[in-house]
Amino acid sequence: MLEVENVSKSFKGRNVVEGMNLYLEKGESIGLLGPNGAGKSTTISIISSLIKPSSGDVKLNGSSVIKKPAAIRKVIGIVPQDIALYEELSAYENLLFFGQMYGMSKAGLAAKIQEVCRLVGLEDRQKDIVKTYSGGMKRRVNIAAALLHDPEILIMDEPTVGIDPQSRSYILEMIRNLNIERGMTVLYTSHYMEEVERLCDRVYIMDHGKVISSGTKEELKNILSAEETIYIDFDRVYPAMYDELQHHQDILRASETENGLKLIVPKGSRLLSRVFQITERHKAQVTNVNVSVPSLEDVFLHLTGRKLRD
Amino acid sequence: MRPFLIKDFKIMLRDRSELVALLLMPFIIMGILGTALSGVMEGDTSSIDIQLAVVEEDAQQEGIAAFQEQVRNSGVPPEAEEELAAAAEHMNPARLLNNMLEDPELSEMIHVQTMEQSDAQAAVRAGDVDAVLTFPEHFTEDTLNAMLMNNGNGSELELLVSDEGSINTTIMEDLLAGFTDNLNAESAIAAAGAGGEEAASIEIGGTETLSQNEPVSAMQYYSIGMAVMFVLYVAGTIASKAFVEKQQQVYNRIILSGTKTWKYLAGKIISTAVIAFVQLTILFILSALVFRTFELTSFSFWIGMLGISAVLAVCVGCIGGLLTSLSIRTESDTASGVFTGVIVTLFAFAGGSFFPLDGMPAFISAFGSWTPNGAAMNAYIRWVQGFGWSELAWPIMQISLVSIAAAIISFLVFPRRRSVSS
Repeated sequence: MLEVENVSKSFKGRNVVEGMNLYLEKGESIGLLGPNGAGKSTTISIISSLIKPSSGDVKLNGSSVIKKPAAIRKVIGIVPQDIALYEELSAYENLLFFGQMYGMSKAGLAAKIQEVCRLVGLEDRQKDIVKTYSGGMKRRVNIAAALLHDPEILIMDEPTVGIDPQSRSYILEMIRNLNIERGMTVLYTSHYMEEVERLCDRVYIMDHGKVISSGTKEELKNILSAEETIYIDFDRVYPAMYDELQHHQDILRASETENGLKLIVPKGSRLLSRVFQITERHKAQVTNVNVSVPSLEDVFLHLTGRKLRD
Repeated sequence: MRPFLIKDFKIMLRDRSELVALLLMPFIIMGILGTALSGVMEGDTSSIDIQLAVVEEDAQQEGIAAFQEQVRNSGVPPEAEEELAAAAEHMNPARLLNNMLEDPELSEMIHVQTMEQSDAQAAVRAGDVDAVLTFPEHFTEDTLNAMLMNNGNGSELELLVSDEGSINTTIMEDLLAGFTDNLNAESAIAAAGAGGEEAASIEIGGTETLSQNEPVSAMQYYSIGMAVMFVLYVAGTIASKAFVEKQQQVYNRIILSGTKTWKYLAGKIISTAVIAFVQLTILFILSALVFRTFELTSFSFWIGMLGISAVLAVCVGCIGGLLTSLSIRTESDTASGVFTGVIVTLFAFAGGSFFPLDGMPAFISAFGSWTPNGAAMNAYIRWVQGFGWSELAWPIMQISLVSIAAAIISFLVFPRRRSVSS
């Protein structure tokens, strides 16, 4: 449906996006994962035809979006990172204005506004001025404005930044429903790993303007298939024992957590018994042990050597 | 275009600080300036009170008779003799000066008392009078001889003042200088034989009327001056809001909806023009209601005012479009900031919003007449004075030319497609 072919973009001699390749099938939910400054927003602007790439092409059903931007503008709904609304107007007035910009008929638009307000849970407060809304409510109107014209592809640029957990959960659930129940294709960018894990079928991991890895969640996690993670919590901090574990020859990586240590060890190494021997020697009180499969966060850490929100 | 207009109108109405800046502020300033400067603008002379002592050492009739005697003895032809005799009666300089001082307008300011020289000297020393004007002996005879026969050096009026450099003495000095200049001009015409009828038609000391139209009151002047100044702020305000739209990606959302960039720009121009027109109309009506500046019931008068306002509002709309183009292109609100912070004040100064430009250098007046506010001010003032439509053609043409230039540049400058945003 949508293909990004070897797209690069540079601003003032600095490469913001480099050799980007990405595809999107109808009905898919794709995650674009990367830290701030990775090039996610620029990629979205190129896909949506707002920015012309320095090289490469974006194709919608085989036709170049760069040459004919009107085609993609009809089928995408963009949820920008900023609250792209008029704060002095009500949610209803904002939606009415943007609907009119899409050339929607008066009667059709009125019904559509009610539908999207219901969808984002703002039916009762649609006549309130946007600047009186909480951050989460503004984000929901921001999404509603992108849904007015029934887009085939919904492109969301970090739509949950800076909102409360309830609103965040509501928005994620709503996006999941749009994807599964309505078959809407979703391209979701975030630096929140758990959001991408929850929403997306496939993931592109970006860093420094490049896609450093891509695939389904399982494919990506298989990068770390030779490893497993052991979380051990203690009643208090034991510096000498921590130091010994961090330098143990069979432990690949060890880092401190809030209540203890996180150990990355070779899969099937049966290291747990040796770890307990060390804790007994140091008379350390173990309060919890958890052996887990790797997360996308672990994958990102493995690929880049740093955490997503570093 | 309608959605843009309704949206911008609602945003403007809900922004209290903007309403204060665009409506309340000019209204207050027009009230303050109109009241404070009404004396200066309308020639209020109630505060001027000059006490003048006049000393008559000259005998006017004897002087005229002596002059006519000299003419008879000079051997000029009989026709010329008759004319000169008549001219001497007509141009009696002492009488002309007295007539000028007795003019109703001047007599409100200058209170004349005839005194003997000694009393007058004492009065001026005591500060009872501001000045002593002395007609010296043989003043009439000597002056007529110099004026009409080019004979001798004439005579000099003597003005003794109590306080050199004070307003009252300066007024007296200017008045006498004006009188003698006029007298010299008239005598030159008479001596050149330019025709007794023409010379006789020149009034000395009267008020020169430049037109038959009504003078503009200070309140009218500043109502117009402040309205044409503050209407320019609408252009800056709309452009700065366009910059916020761009910054917050609302502009991108509009463009992604398939709206053409020219429609967005045209929407901004129309919104600015309509808001500017409403602002001007409200300010003039408020001024008429509160300050009694304009006659509210004259339909034809208001048609003219609204017509000029419409032309000015379109110009402000085009300037708003230009500033919007610059803001979107540069992704900065510097253009609107410089316009509202510097250019509006410059335009207001050069366009005459703060004070009339009569005494200003010609290049400032010329520049001011090409500013939208300056040209509009010319048009409004002419209309208030009662001039016809034909007299408004040139300032309206000037405003229209500025509008066309601003509109063309704004469409050329506006980024066509895919502006950069990271």
